[in-house]
Amino acid sequence: MKVDLYEVMSRATLSRRRMLQGATALGAIAALPMAARMAAAEAHGNVRAEILKIPGVGMGSPTDSDWQKVGEMCLDATKANVAEGEFAGVELTFFGINNNGLHNILFRGLLKGWETYTGAKINWIDLAQADYNPRLQQSIATGTVDFDILAMGAPLEGDTASKGLLDEMPDWVKAQIEMDDYVGYLKAPVGTWDGKTYRISIDGDCHTFAYRKDYFGEGAIGGAEVPKTWQQVNAYSKAVVGQTDPLTGQAAIGYLDPLKGWGGFGFYFLENRAAAYAKHPSDPAWLFDADTMKPRVNNPAWVQAIQDVLDLIATPGAYPADQINADPGTTAFSQFLAGTGSSLMWWGDVGSNARTSDTSVVGDVVGFGINPGSDRVYNSASGAWEETYNEAPNMAYLGWGVYVTNRVSADEKKRKAAWSAAAHLGGKDLSLWMSAYPSGFQPYRNSHFQYDEWEAAGYDRAFVEDYLGSNADSYNHPNAAIEPRIPGIFQYYSVAEDELSKIYAGQYASAQEGADAIAAAWDKITDDIGRDSQIALYKASLGM
Amino acid sequence: MSSSGDLLHVVTNDSISAGRKAFGRAITWGSAVCMVIIAACQLAQVLGWWDLGFENWRPTLYAYVMWAVCLCWGQVLQYGEHGKRTLFVLPAALFVISLTVFPLLFGLIIAFSDWNLSSPDGRQFNGLDNVRQMWADPFYWNAMLNMVWYVLAILVEYAIAFGLALALNAEIRARKFFRVAFLLPLMLSPVAVSWMIGKSMLEARFGPISRLGRALGWDNPSFFESPWIAKATIMLMDAWTFIPFMMIMILAGLQAIPKELNEAAKVDGANGWRAFWEVTFPMMLPVSITAILIRIIFKLKLADIVIAVTSGGPGGATDTVTSFIFREYRDRSNVGYGTLLAMVYLVVIILVMTLLMKLADRYARPRT
Repeated sequence: MKVDLYEVMSRATLSRRRMLQGATALGAIAALPMAARMAAAEAHGNVRAEILKIPGVGMGSPTDSDWQKVGEMCLDATKANVAEGEFAGVELTFFGINNNGLHNILFRGLLKGWETYTGAKINWIDLAQADYNPRLQQSIATGTVDFDILAMGAPLEGDTASKGLLDEMPDWVKAQIEMDDYVGYLKAPVGTWDGKTYRISIDGDCHTFAYRKDYFGEGAIGGAEVPKTWQQVNAYSKAVVGQTDPLTGQAAIGYLDPLKGWGGFGFYFLENRAAAYAKHPSDPAWLFDADTMKPRVNNPAWVQAIQDVLDLIATPGAYPADQINADPGTTAFSQFLAGTGSSLMWWGDVGSNARTSDTSVVGDVVGFGINPGSDRVYNSASGAWEETYNEAPNMAYLGWGVYVTNRVSADEKKRKAAWSAAAHLGGKDLSLWMSAYPSGFQPYRNSHFQYDEWEAAGYDRAFVEDYLGSNADSYNHPNAAIEPRIPGIFQYYSVAEDELSKIYAGQYASAQEGADAIAAAWDKITDDIGRDSQIALYKASLGM
Repeated sequence: MSSSGDLLHVVTNDSISAGRKAFGRAITWGSAVCMVIIAACQLAQVLGWWDLGFENWRPTLYAYVMWAVCLCWGQVLQYGEHGKRTLFVLPAALFVISLTVFPLLFGLIIAFSDWNLSSPDGRQFNGLDNVRQMWADPFYWNAMLNMVWYVLAILVEYAIAFGLALALNAEIRARKFFRVAFLLPLMLSPVAVSWMIGKSMLEARFGPISRLGRALGWDNPSFFESPWIAKATIMLMDAWTFIPFMMIMILAGLQAIPKELNEAAKVDGANGWRAFWEVTFPMMLPVSITAILIRIIFKLKLADIVIAVTSGGPGGATDTVTSFIFREYRDRSNVGYGTLLAMVYLVVIILVMTLLMKLADRYARPRT
């Protein structure tokens, strides 16, 4: 009982019966908000369960009408902050990609109900993935930014937030989208830029280890245990050479490294190996020295990662024929899902496609884990290897976000409209649906890992726990390898891909020599863009 | 009316007053001076000498348009009927100049700049730094060397195209069908060829051509693994697409050769080979040279197949200059350096093509 309540009751001469009546009444009044909250929570829970039924797992891909329905059902959060018709007459321009008929195309449907309710109109700039970055960079460089809302990968914040192009997120948006629910790595400092919040996350990105369960176990060709370190990955990849794949009957293949570039994205796959060696728990930086931007790509840790790949290239039969011409898309969709090779690192698409894609033959034998670790880790500060186990999941690409540009900053009505639209897309319930159904986005909130919801929606519990669990473990890992959000980050990756192509083709005398060439090219890019500003932004992006 | 001069083409003979001529000259030169002053002011602002608050180059553009209008008007004012005749060509000439010379000039400015789109400093003039970087860039020169091999492959393509053209020129069954069938690859987009053939039929494990290779005893058929096989495969895919182009040109040439010449050779006792070598081939030289030169120009622009299939790999073995510039410009936002590479490549192409045309002109006249 509360003190003031006790005093009130003791001053009055109350009969026991009256006091109990009063206490009951007070309790009822005190419980009112709780009851209301419970009702609201139930309704909220119902929304989550109801949207997961649209169209229903196994009922085919959602269509535009499904997207519109889901968008309308998730409008409660918007209605709490925006009056009906409040944005009548406001026109916004939304800039994003249209990959696989998703992203912007999906957003159109999801925002349809929002447009109807608020009265705002959204115009769309749809771009193919390959055109996205050049168009964005040209808009920035030529001062012709012609969009108010921007769907963008977090690594490009170095090119946008650093140039003051973005509008800072208002507090009401943070409350509406329940940012506390984000997984660990998406919170500050990765969730902020220089202490300010610009991004409404709609995606979480990391690479997880997908493997064939039939390769491992007692008597299996890959060994009794699933490899936990890159040393073990290489050892089993060599051990299975000459054996037969238990599923397809073809030659058994171990780990699948993509050896061909992929517009810069191929570099993430060397990073997977290097993270375990190079990402020391005491240092958030692992690609460059934070104080000088001196590349670390030619330190012993990275050279070891390159050497691991070269060792497999030198082992006949360790890779499928023509692996030198296999990019990451090939390793995932033409090789692993089609039954060639027994493990690889990829984004969540491999998990979601393993069971749903018509071309996948591995749905029943696929397992997931976090990025393999290493028996030793290189400490850049001391310049020496440390013989301790280390693991560092690679947060490759960090995830997509929705941003508002500073074009709307001066017009409060338009600004609120832009943030409201963005918040709708990044809403807690809507994001559950987006992570459960084809959208192009992975789970990124702690609430996305409530496996009961997935099971109730029709997913196989064991599979979802395995697949989503590897994501959750990676996101919340204390030694996650974080991608630096510095300007031109994909320039570094792209030029590294060119050099890696030469390294893998044997044009350098050693891995070290090739790595030195990458480092020299990276130094050149840093000088081109501006070393001092890159140092400052590198530190800001890692929260140093 | 005057009794001398260009009487044939002059409908009326104007008597133009001195005042009108002076006005014509005044608006022409006045607008020119105005354009130069505005352009100079804008340039001064760009160079940081004088801030006049210009936000973009539109004032200079408007001044140019005004000068162009005044120039055309001035022609009529000063020269009357002759001036009107000039107007048939002058606006078109000014338009073409606007669309070629100005972009070229701006391109040159960019080529000698350090302009990385990610740089917060924007475009910075950097003199000959890009040239020095190009000189020491192993990727660029590797791509240039690859281009030499790719261009040399045209000789083989030409021989095949000539053979096919001779076959289709002969009296064979279903000749029209074969003509259309042989032209089909030319109608396909190179990107489609890349995916259908490079990424599907030649796929190392499941591609039908790889399966055939295995059936014929090739252990691990691989079309893009070793540098020379990869280069040859790219050459083959490109050749498959463009041989029909050369074939159709040569076929047209063959059909233009008078039959009497071959008949006369036969009468003189020439056998088939001798008739071809002494009559058909020399007669076909001008067409052949044209076909080869056009094919070289196409080949020098080879990029799409390489980008889609190998990304220049393995180790740069299949890289072309255009695909390298594409990566430099698009993936790395390195506008300044990429533009310089493109400019240098343009100059190289112009020089090589000019040289080839001179040589062709000198040595490839039909032997009569």
